[in-house]
Amino acid sequence: MEKIEPFGEGFVLALAPEFVLVIGLFTLMIVPNLGDAKFRIPMTQVRIPWFLGGKRGKLDSDPRLPGLFATAFFSLAFVLTAMSFVNGMNRIQIVSGDNVMLQVDEFSRMFELIFFGALALASAASVNRIPATSRNDRSASGLYNNRRQVDFYVLLITSGLGMAVVALAQDLFLLFIGLELASFSTYVLVAFLKESKEGTEAGMKYFIVGSVASGVGLYGLSLLYLWSGSLQFSELATAFAENGMESLPLIALGMLLVGFGFKVSAAPFHFAAPDAYAGATAPVAGVLATASKAMGVLGLLRVLLVVASPEATDGAAVWLVALAVLSVVTMTWGNLAALGSTNPKRMLAYSSVAHAGYMMAAIAAIGALNWETDHVDLSNDAALVVVTALIFHLTVLVCFKLGAFLVLSLLESEKGGHTLESLGGLAKRDPFLAVAMFIFMMSLAGVPPLSGFVSKLLVIMGIVKVALLDVTVNSDLSLADLHWVWYLALAMVINSAISVFYYLRVGLVMYFHEPEEGREGPLPAGGPVRLAILACLVTTVFFGVGAGQLIALAESAANALVGAW
Amino acid sequence: MTIDWISLPLVGMPLISSIVLLAYVAYVSPAAREKIGPTVRMATLVLSLLMLVLTTAMFFGDNFIEGTLDWASLSFGKFNYEFQYDWIESLGIHWSVGMDALSFPMVWLTTFLLPITIVATWHEKNAAVYFPLILMMGGALIGVFVALDLFMFYVFWELTLIPMFFLILKWGGYDRKYASQKFFIYTFTASVIMLLGLVTVYFLQPENLAHAGTWTGRTFDIPTLTAHAQSANAGGEWFLGVGLQKVLFVMLMIGFLVKLPSVPFHTWLPDAHVQAPTGGSMLLAGVMLKMGAYGMFRLPLALFPHAAEHFQFWLLALGMVSLVWGAVVCLGQTNLKKMVAYSSVSHMGVILIGIATMQPLGWAAALFMMFAHGIISPMLFAVCGAFKHHYHSMEIGAMRGMAKHSPWLATSMMFGWMASLGLPLLAGFVAELMMFLALWHFIAAEGWSVLWMVGPAFVLAITAAYYLWSMQRTIFEGGEATQPPASLNGQPVPDITDAEKWAMVIMAAFTILFGVMPWIALDMMNGWTVAFFETLLIPILTGGA
Repeated sequence: MEKIEPFGEGFVLALAPEFVLVIGLFTLMIVPNLGDAKFRIPMTQVRIPWFLGGKRGKLDSDPRLPGLFATAFFSLAFVLTAMSFVNGMNRIQIVSGDNVMLQVDEFSRMFELIFFGALALASAASVNRIPATSRNDRSASGLYNNRRQVDFYVLLITSGLGMAVVALAQDLFLLFIGLELASFSTYVLVAFLKESKEGTEAGMKYFIVGSVASGVGLYGLSLLYLWSGSLQFSELATAFAENGMESLPLIALGMLLVGFGFKVSAAPFHFAAPDAYAGATAPVAGVLATASKAMGVLGLLRVLLVVASPEATDGAAVWLVALAVLSVVTMTWGNLAALGSTNPKRMLAYSSVAHAGYMMAAIAAIGALNWETDHVDLSNDAALVVVTALIFHLTVLVCFKLGAFLVLSLLESEKGGHTLESLGGLAKRDPFLAVAMFIFMMSLAGVPPLSGFVSKLLVIMGIVKVALLDVTVNSDLSLADLHWVWYLALAMVINSAISVFYYLRVGLVMYFHEPEEGREGPLPAGGPVRLAILACLVTTVFFGVGAGQLIALAESAANALVGAW
Repeated sequence: MTIDWISLPLVGMPLISSIVLLAYVAYVSPAAREKIGPTVRMATLVLSLLMLVLTTAMFFGDNFIEGTLDWASLSFGKFNYEFQYDWIESLGIHWSVGMDALSFPMVWLTTFLLPITIVATWHEKNAAVYFPLILMMGGALIGVFVALDLFMFYVFWELTLIPMFFLILKWGGYDRKYASQKFFIYTFTASVIMLLGLVTVYFLQPENLAHAGTWTGRTFDIPTLTAHAQSANAGGEWFLGVGLQKVLFVMLMIGFLVKLPSVPFHTWLPDAHVQAPTGGSMLLAGVMLKMGAYGMFRLPLALFPHAAEHFQFWLLALGMVSLVWGAVVCLGQTNLKKMVAYSSVSHMGVILIGIATMQPLGWAAALFMMFAHGIISPMLFAVCGAFKHHYHSMEIGAMRGMAKHSPWLATSMMFGWMASLGLPLLAGFVAELMMFLALWHFIAAEGWSVLWMVGPAFVLAITAAYYLWSMQRTIFEGGEATQPPASLNGQPVPDITDAEKWAMVIMAAFTILFGVMPWIALDMMNGWTVAFFETLLIPILTGGA
């Protein structure tokens, strides 16, 4: 593996997508402020053109500009990330002395694809979403409104950068910095809709709960440091392999779980999520449900599988067993709560909780395997299956979960989307949106041949594979011979049956109910959003029918993680 | 000659063309949507007729297609028109199609019912959307029957839910919202339990060197899986062990029993049928229910014959209860369509009893019942649909003296009812007679009490009673003083339309055809059953490997 010092030879090229985002950040700050300002050299009357400030030009004062810029930069970062896969991944480590700081490999790049893809779609959908005023409006509030556009996208980009750091980090401390950067950006993004009371309240709740969770996680991190004297993943893993059964690291790990559990909105740390989703604008809620959640899963994978992967000992997996219990609670709670919610964004939030439960079940399955020492030789194989399933799931989640939020975002721009009834008659008002939403819902429910089905099938297959690893096929098997994680798959299956109720209800409302009063007309046009929805729709179907390519990609990413054990 | 006559012509074409049609219809304005309705209807009719021509040619094993094919003497595990393409290679998933004598009658039945359904519901409202959905339904149904890959099977199995969901929701009766939801959730829940069973079986097959390149080293191929189970099931040895085989058998059967449906999982059916539009009901009763029975033969019975024998009593009991309960409930119905729906439950009980006897005759009876019921029950629903269409009511007492006012509908109704209650020389009779013989054999062989025959015999009487009673009240009663339904508001009572007449006549003709010459279909079913028993069941169940 190539090792590069920061700003050494090849550094910029290795982190090209991230640098694109940094450039985008500065571009966003500078370009909308360009004007005809002049700078008077002190003590003279000479004025030289200064450009920053003053009366802005026609083009750069357009309120849509920041959104388009952000979309372009996220797309560029996405393409660059994708291109690194083309000719075989060049694995690079960014080192500082002996410490590995960042590592570019298939795994981190795959997650960056998820982050950048989701953020690109969300920023495309947000163009025209924040109240913008006509560019001829020179009043203070008008100008302020237009400047706010920039803030929104700056925050999106910083959260993207934070997520990228989380994906690349090889050091727990660095990972936490990335996590916090992304978190703080999303706290503000949630509260960004200051026009609505819910927005502010949601931001506040999300911030308080989130920072408590981060604080607990940080405390666990410091305990880990106290115990091992290093926060490098590799060194932590060695330490865990030697004496991971000590109480200090186990407590520390539990505290870290709280931090990540909040990010993936696992029960019982999920209480803020429905409020946050309902208060935020739909694209932001979509980012929370996809990219932000992927970040949390990434953290869980790194910490539970790489650091505490108890390949040699059988004790440190105790948290993974706890995770199994938690996963069943999470998925059941999420689904039951979603049954009773009438706000579609809340419903999607709870469905997101349920999906977190499915993913945790898969992670727990790996851990449960490691729990028993006689499986160690087989564990890599099974872990590969499960991690592939998880990556696939997180990737396609961007397609249909974000897509569903984007449909709601269009409804929000006519002050709807907060009640299920505002979706009423969508089939008549806008057949394209209704079909898209129906397909997203079916995909969330796991109806073939959509990608949601393939992802659920893969997760179930991963769990079942783990459950059957030590089963030698003979004519004397009974249910008791299967590993207990098989029941996790059963819980998942029953839960996905429950979930059909509320996903189907959306379809019923769209196709069966009449439009609400005052909503009979056509929906706002919103070109970029519709384009983003179309992209989501096509990928939702494509990754279901032609899943092979994406599975191969996810497998190469999983290999990079699992192979490193 | 190696042309894939299944994938594209029978599965891909209806699915793709219906999606294209629907996309086009969504694209045009609502006003134009009304205008292009007839064109769309004609297009779907032509496409479905082409499919019917193809499957009929396949039946005759026409030289133009594939050389002479003999469906009846196909040995077990062999398929005609077999084709395989890689789909998701890393998981061992293929697009794999083929037909044997188990699936071919079902495929032919689907292609037969498609044009009939289109003709019988010629005047359905919102035609531009309705008819493509019917076509899509047909493609998905055929996909289920021709799939030789578990993944593909499951995909099409679930895909059938979506057009049917919309058919019920958009064209259904008063309570359609509840019915479509119940239909979807019921069958989906059963299917996901089945899915877990399938995945478990998948991972329990040994790693296959032929699939070493794949991610898991295993394959979803149904024939491979069956062949493997066959060799593992030798004699007293249970494939996957006694305990596990029972569990997996039950998991798979839940999926199929709900679809069939059998009491106690049948409650979705009357709701779905009563609310569904005529076309939806025809396909639902004609083909979709048979997916359950088809799946049983294809998977659990072939994979887990020991467990099937173990649960034989329970299957028989479920069949008996469905048979009797369905018939008894029929007696109490005042809604014509609900009565027909419950009679379907009763007839599905016949299939289950046939399977439970574990005898070639019983299985052939079940197969023939699937086929015969697939022709008769759509006719019943077409009659109900015409009744509703013209008299705006479904109540049995609403119209009296129909024979005088609308002789065509009265005749069709009488014919359908008679066919359904098992009049000799009509298709249903053959199946019922075979089932009785098989059951009699079984009881004699097992030394069970003859009282087991009481239920089915009793049902014959009940069936005759409810059918005759409903006929008497709608067709004949009233004599000269007929009572047109109040919903007509005193207007003259119309007879059925020409399109409906045509559909009725064709269905009646085929009911007679398969009643008088059942061997046309029965030969191949018999051949399949015998092959199944000789290769799979007898070596296993008699203990000699």
